Amino acid sequence: MAEICCEEAKSTPATAVAAASVSATAAAAAAVAVASSALERRRRRLEMRRFRVAGDPEAPVAEDVRAAKRQRLARTLSSTCPDAGSGSGSDSDRPALPERLPRYGVTSVCGRRREMEDTVSVRPDFVPGTSKQHFFGVFDGHGCSHVATMCQNMMHEVVADEHRKADCSGEETAWKAVMERSFARLDEQAASWATSRSRDEPSCRCEQQKPLRCDHVGSTAVVAVVSPTHVVVANAGDSRAVLSRAGVPVPLSVDHKPDRPDELARIKAAGGRVIYWDGARVLGVLAMSRAIGDGYLKPFVSSEPEVTVTERTDDDECLILASDGLWDVVTNEMACEVVRACFHSNGPPAPAARANGAALRAAENGSAAAKGVSVEDSDKACSDAAMLLAKLALARRSADNVSVVVVDLRRGI
Amino acid sequence: MPYTAPRPSPQQHSRVLSGGGAKAASHGASCAAVPAEVARHHEHAARAGQCCSAVVQAIAAPVGAVWSVVRRFDRPQAYKHFIRSCRLVGGGDVAVGSVREVRVVSGLPATSSRERLEILDDERRVLSFRVVGGEHRLANYRSVTTVHEAGAGAGTGTVVVESYVVDVPHGNTADETRVFVDTIVRCNLQSLARTAERLA
Repeated sequence: MAEICCEEAKSTPATAVAAASVSATAAAAAAVAVASSALERRRRRLEMRRFRVAGDPEAPVAEDVRAAKRQRLARTLSSTCPDAGSGSGSDSDRPALPERLPRYGVTSVCGRRREMEDTVSVRPDFVPGTSKQHFFGVFDGHGCSHVATMCQNMMHEVVADEHRKADCSGEETAWKAVMERSFARLDEQAASWATSRSRDEPSCRCEQQKPLRCDHVGSTAVVAVVSPTHVVVANAGDSRAVLSRAGVPVPLSVDHKPDRPDELARIKAAGGRVIYWDGARVLGVLAMSRAIGDGYLKPFVSSEPEVTVTERTDDDECLILASDGLWDVVTNEMACEVVRACFHSNGPPAPAARANGAALRAAENGSAAAKGVSVEDSDKACSDAAMLLAKLALARRSADNVSVVVVDLRRGI
Repeated sequence: MPYTAPRPSPQQHSRVLSGGGAKAASHGASCAAVPAEVARHHEHAARAGQCCSAVVQAIAAPVGAVWSVVRRFDRPQAYKHFIRSCRLVGGGDVAVGSVREVRVVSGLPATSSRERLEILDDERRVLSFRVVGGEHRLANYRSVTTVHEAGAGAGTGTVVVESYVVDVPHGNTADETRVFVDTIVRCNLQSLARTAERLA
């Protein structure tokens, strides 16, 4: 992924990049058009129309503004490289057997916010002694970055530890308890961050103040554990996990906004208030009703996650985890379509497979015909999808950091 | 959100405290046994469309240690953790009339605040500032913070009182405005307590 980031950083104007992406997708669409049914062609035209609409915000960019825009895009892309380095770190920890590798792509960009407070954590085979369980997490910090950084560094270890203690065999109730205890432990760690901080962690503003507690900092946490049979998602805050199943988005989490009816009722019952102050906010201050940290808003802002356990099926295409910098400006449907388009453009290389409509449909469903897709192609498709989603969010003027994880769930690869 | 112009409203000629919040402010100051000479700073003349309130914080640290943190108009982030950075406009030393530009941390419904120092009284330990700009919804905000010895005798601890008056933003009630501002002020004073107790 670092290569992709560096290449993009060196690319010419942002509009050219966007145009190139759309052109590549168009070329891919054209390549398979002859093999598709009329229905397929109609659906693809709708997708292409959406891409053109997505590109519109960049159309009015004036010549003199373009240079500044390119610089901003380059800067945001370059900020991805350190995360790519972190990703490379994860890569170096990968197990030897290629069959067990998860296939995923990650992008994390600062965007229009001045500081980067999102973190992403990818931990293949993260449970010691157990294989084929992979951890993915997106953490969107606020107030400062250190709670999100702590979650990035510790959440997978805590989940693995709780999983071991629970002797979890996959039942929904067992996973719910594992995740709830894990989030509670991270929440406690956030409250006593100063004493728990290891020396290796990068410093942040709060470290310079050396407070004993950091009640004013918090982070969202959307976490997924992917096994061969299930996807477990635990969420606190307004980041989100979405599954694409036969082209249909299936939300695996529901955003914790303070005006969500059940959250509003819980906050009121606890003696708190939701006040509309630039949107619905707990006590008028925080725009989410659950988070790790934020001690000063307890018990109204809870760290208890909502947990879903979803059985995997042959129709599953991908899992998308992202911060609200993406979801505020991109619908679940659009995100799934972007990933599907990237999967197609990195589809089966054999001309015979592409020429045959039935084989194409089989490939889309991840059946035997898709075995020709290599792990490298799948990783590239996921990385392309994550990058394209981040660019789409920036093009739609997302006002926040954007972090995206795309996991390939197609079977038979 | 751009700073909105002050709401046109006739100034009441008498210093009348209005609304429950005002009573709470007065009550809070009384409970804190604020010396009479300083209590007047906490009597805010709230106009129609404004609200006021006060927050009291006990701190187990000498009054001098607490005041040394509070009085740093150029360095409010030492205890106000919602402040990411602070810069004196025009440089120079701190004096009445100095203006600071404050940038706010992420996650809050504000990005910056421009504030003018109105009172800095080292003898009576009174600090006051007025918000004169920035991107937030707190128009015409004025704050007074006073630091006092708690109860009788030296070394028994410190009491800090912060009171304020502010316009009620369009679309919100006075009660909502007090809930919002009190939450921020209370969090700041709790951070001040931890900071000062560690200094002592």
